[in-house]
Amino acid sequence: MNAVAKKEIEAQIVDRLGHVFERNEKRPREILRSGIGEIDQEWGGFPRGAITEIHGTASCGRTSLMLATLAAATAGEETCAVIDCSDTFDLSSATRAGVNFDHLLWVRCNHNLERAFKSTDLLLHGGGFGFIALSLADMPPPTLRRIVSTWWFRFRRAVEDTPTVLLVMTPTVCTRSCAAMALELKNESAMWPATAKFITPEEYYVPAPDNPAAKHLSLVSGDERNREPAAVPSHAHFLATSTIRLNRERPVEWTNQIIRFISSRA
Amino acid sequence: MFACIHSRSVPGAGASEALVELAFTFSPLVELTRADTVVFDVAGQDLLFGKVLDVHADGDLFFRLAATIAQRARQVNVKANICIAANPDTAIHAARLLSQTTIIHAGDELTHLGLLSIKQLDCSLAAVEQRQAEEIYETFALWGVRTFRDLAELPLAGVAERLGQEGVRLQQLAQGRTDRALNLVRPPIGFEQSLELEHAVSELEPLSFILSRLLNQLCANLNEHALAANELRLQLVTEKCGQWPVAGGQQQDANTRDLSDANQPLTDHLPLTADHYLRIITLPVPMRNPKTLLRLLLFEIEREPPLAPIVAITITAEPVQPRAAQTGLFIPLAPEPEKLEITLARLAKLVGRENVGSPELLDTHRPDAFRVKRFSVTSARKKSRSNPRSAGGNPQSVMGFRIFRPPCLAQVHTSKGRPIHVDARAKLSRKLSGQIVRAAGPWRGSSDWWRTDVWARDEWDVAVFDAQQGGEVLCRIYRDLISEQWFVAGIYD
Repeated sequence: MNAVAKKEIEAQIVDRLGHVFERNEKRPREILRSGIGEIDQEWGGFPRGAITEIHGTASCGRTSLMLATLAAATAGEETCAVIDCSDTFDLSSATRAGVNFDHLLWVRCNHNLERAFKSTDLLLHGGGFGFIALSLADMPPPTLRRIVSTWWFRFRRAVEDTPTVLLVMTPTVCTRSCAAMALELKNESAMWPATAKFITPEEYYVPAPDNPAAKHLSLVSGDERNREPAAVPSHAHFLATSTIRLNRERPVEWTNQIIRFISSRA
Repeated sequence: MFACIHSRSVPGAGASEALVELAFTFSPLVELTRADTVVFDVAGQDLLFGKVLDVHADGDLFFRLAATIAQRARQVNVKANICIAANPDTAIHAARLLSQTTIIHAGDELTHLGLLSIKQLDCSLAAVEQRQAEEIYETFALWGVRTFRDLAELPLAGVAERLGQEGVRLQQLAQGRTDRALNLVRPPIGFEQSLELEHAVSELEPLSFILSRLLNQLCANLNEHALAANELRLQLVTEKCGQWPVAGGQQQDANTRDLSDANQPLTDHLPLTADHYLRIITLPVPMRNPKTLLRLLLFEIEREPPLAPIVAITITAEPVQPRAAQTGLFIPLAPEPEKLEITLARLAKLVGRENVGSPELLDTHRPDAFRVKRFSVTSARKKSRSNPRSAGGNPQSVMGFRIFRPPCLAQVHTSKGRPIHVDARAKLSRKLSGQIVRAAGPWRGSSDWWRTDVWARDEWDVAVFDAQQGGEVLCRIYRDLISEQWFVAGIYD
């Protein structure tokens, strides 16, 4: 039964049974800005006191979104934590994203899912953290399917009535009804620099004669060809574009938004 | 009544401490007048040495007390003269200047001290400077005043008129009528609790009760002095010593023994002597909550348990001023330091101490060079921003990277030196295999040629068409120029 049909049935029986199928959830009043203008303008940010799930395939921009939020949170001097299940948190890209490590607690779990969940539980019950990111992005889906749903309910109960944002990054949908916000990311395209012209068609290459430092840039896919070269960082390798679909009333309503991430080597 | 002990032994290192300790065995109100003289209040000793019934019995009481003091002084090898008097300054003069143990009741001061020379009067007890006292003594000599009694019998008004307040104080000193409080010696504050067990403890639960008792007393002492602890030292004495014989006839300590050799039982080489285990817990903020400290100690013991049952425990706290924090409406949310410390201890027990903390990039070009330091909220607030990019916000969204630790060995096919196909499998993760549809590079990096772990690599950013996902995976691969092998460094995400 799809979600639309479910909503129609609920509308038909509301006269007799009342709003028995409505979620008895408290809407979070406070939000944490994600650090990405497109998302903050559209949705405000991530809800505090709730679980937010980001899922998508590899290279879809999950980590980029998490780093942007982490940078925004640490810039606001909030205490943050990253539970790194696969030990893949890259400090160099986090530094370039603007993350302040003085406010960051990094927990490496060495591919142990149970340790990751227990660590998250300890931090949630310890309290005082503004942003906690549980990174399960590199865990294979069969492993994620073994997660018992009681963990997510426990997390939802622990995080509510707190100002903490619990962000869960997964390759597939995991938290389901326990998440107040679910974001599905999809990699749309990547725009490549001039050094890739032996693979990229020659006509995509746009030189930047007035900016020699930008000679490695070939931001030339689709609409990006008309963009000002100076508007792009000089050492960028490529731009990756991701589409985000937001689900607030699972799984009824989705909203699309496009964001771009710049891969840079400082 | 006051007792004075004047040591006539050769002064040496620790002589004054021995005198003070001797005095503390009789009274908590002790003054160290000089390195060889202590005076202390002996009022209220009747329960120990007999009740005061009349003057004669009173004398008996103080004679017994003086005899006891002399006996204990001999036990600690202190050759001392003792005097008990109603006035501390009288007791000091008598102990110093008389040759035998003396009991001086109120009003009898001049009977015992009256014939002593005026030059033996200790002017420092009357707060008169030595130079000024010498001038006054010259005046006394002109007047023909040569003994304590001569000075004591002078008219008070005349002394005050001619010599001022200093002369009056010296006269009161000679009369034995000074009225001053003792300048008390503070007993050394001990923030150490220890306990020797009759039966060895090998389980954590009974040990926790013992630790709780010791910590409660320790924190009560800290609380009494308005202090807190910023470091705890736990010393455990176990039944058996961990000295394992190793090759070459040398001994290896139990704590550093390589336990990889599982074939040899641990108890084979254990002689039955005592061994000491020391755990030092440095606290990020001063604490004096016994429950918090108990949990931290238990986590520390659980993380690295001793190898033998425990027979003695000593806990030492490093006292510091307690934390004073000013909270405010606009200070961002932060964990409570005490709760955070417990949480960090639990996390360290769960994932290992080296896997919990605040990351820090090292100042080197070597890829993924970092260290994990201790996470602390207070230090984070005191510090300036470690990352200047975070100060003003990052206007552009930087693409994240997920690095593989260790790098994933890959089979890469090349054409004209350029990668065209990659086949790799990350640790416990999905397989990365497919045709490279786009690539950028190479970016060459190398450094540390002066070291044995020299590194050199050519990095490529590639887009791999992943048939499983039906899309492109952006990843960074590199060719190690030392080993001539390809690796997948990580994926852009």
